[in-house]
Amino acid sequence: PNFSLRLSARWHTSFRPTGGREQGVAKVEEYTLPAYFDRRENPLPDVCYVQNLSPEQKSLKEKEIGSWAALSNEEKIALYRISFKQSFAEMNQGSSEWKSVVGGMMFLIGFTGLVVLWQRKYVYGPVPHTFDAEYKAKELQRTLDMRMNPVEGFASKWDYENKQWKK
Amino acid sequence: MAHPLQLGFQDAASPVMEELLHFHDHALMVVFLISTLVLYIILAMISTKLTNKFILDSQEIEIIWTVLPAVILILIALPSLRILYLMDEINDPHLTIKAVGHQWYWSYEYTDYEDLGFDSYMIPTQDLAPGQFRLLEADHRMVVPVESPLRVLVTAEDVLHSWAVPALGVKMDAVPGRLNQTAFITSRPGIFYGQCSEICGANHSFMPIVVEAVPLEHFETWSSLMLEDA
Repeated sequence: PNFSLRLSARWHTSFRPTGGREQGVAKVEEYTLPAYFDRRENPLPDVCYVQNLSPEQKSLKEKEIGSWAALSNEEKIALYRISFKQSFAEMNQGSSEWKSVVGGMMFLIGFTGLVVLWQRKYVYGPVPHTFDAEYKAKELQRTLDMRMNPVEGFASKWDYENKQWKK
Repeated sequence: MAHPLQLGFQDAASPVMEELLHFHDHALMVVFLISTLVLYIILAMISTKLTNKFILDSQEIEIIWTVLPAVILILIALPSLRILYLMDEINDPHLTIKAVGHQWYWSYEYTDYEDLGFDSYMIPTQDLAPGQFRLLEADHRMVVPVESPLRVLVTAEDVLHSWAVPALGVKMDAVPGRLNQTAFITSRPGIFYGQCSEICGANHSFMPIVVEAVPLEHFETWSSLMLEDA
């Protein structure tokens, strides 16, 4: 196994088909065709953005061979735009999409609430009589009388001397 | 029984349940610590602007996140096994009760001294006395003497059922043709509710278990009365 790994590593480092499109000094990955993409962690893509230069861009490229101090600001920006589609600032800016997402989510939740309310009114039958307030009061009294969960739970929160909930 | 909207366990009414409560606290704390750590790591990963495309391996962190979980698992396993063996202790029950599951009621047999047996049906909602708990009350409760070691032999007459009382930390499947043994001691007097815990048909939710722990004299009075009625 070691023998074959060493062979393939040598193939990859010595024979690198780039088609003369290397942009910078970064190592070119050989496993796909070179493509351009704007990503923060890949600052120097494999290829320039503009592949087919117009005549002005070609003459600008000729001028780039000379001293860079002779280039005006617009020319430098034009050269940048030949190599890159978006600047870092443009690429990293956020969008307002999250507002639509949150708004849509809240709308759907609200709609679900309406459906639930409709169901309760028109679909479900009445609740058992044990939910009446008077019955619930008797249940509560019985729960306390039976000392339900007296250690840390329900009855432990009731003050039996003063007949009220503990503060 | 549980009060409305209760999230945690009921207070323990037997020593084993107390142990289970403490173990649950311990295990849940471990779970919360791990979850908080993972949540923090997720948030940190999402919100960072740093990138590194060339990480291949790292021996140090691999060792840490292999050894540390192993240690945590041991810390959980030791109390867990301790309770497991505690539940299996040889004990000397004062009383043996048979709980037999039927569709859809329980029957209890106290056959140590006399032949006492009775059925325990759920009280239907329309027949409840004011203050009784819906779907939990039964017409005859399983009365037991408080603070006495008890043995319950659980079986079923027809299909699978399960005899469970959460406050006592007891759950034992009722299998037809098989006797399953469980034991408990009630630490305090009271009424403890449970429900059938194995799907058994249409009224599976409507066959509750009610255990009433009373002082021994009251238990003797009760069993004499039940024998007369039978």
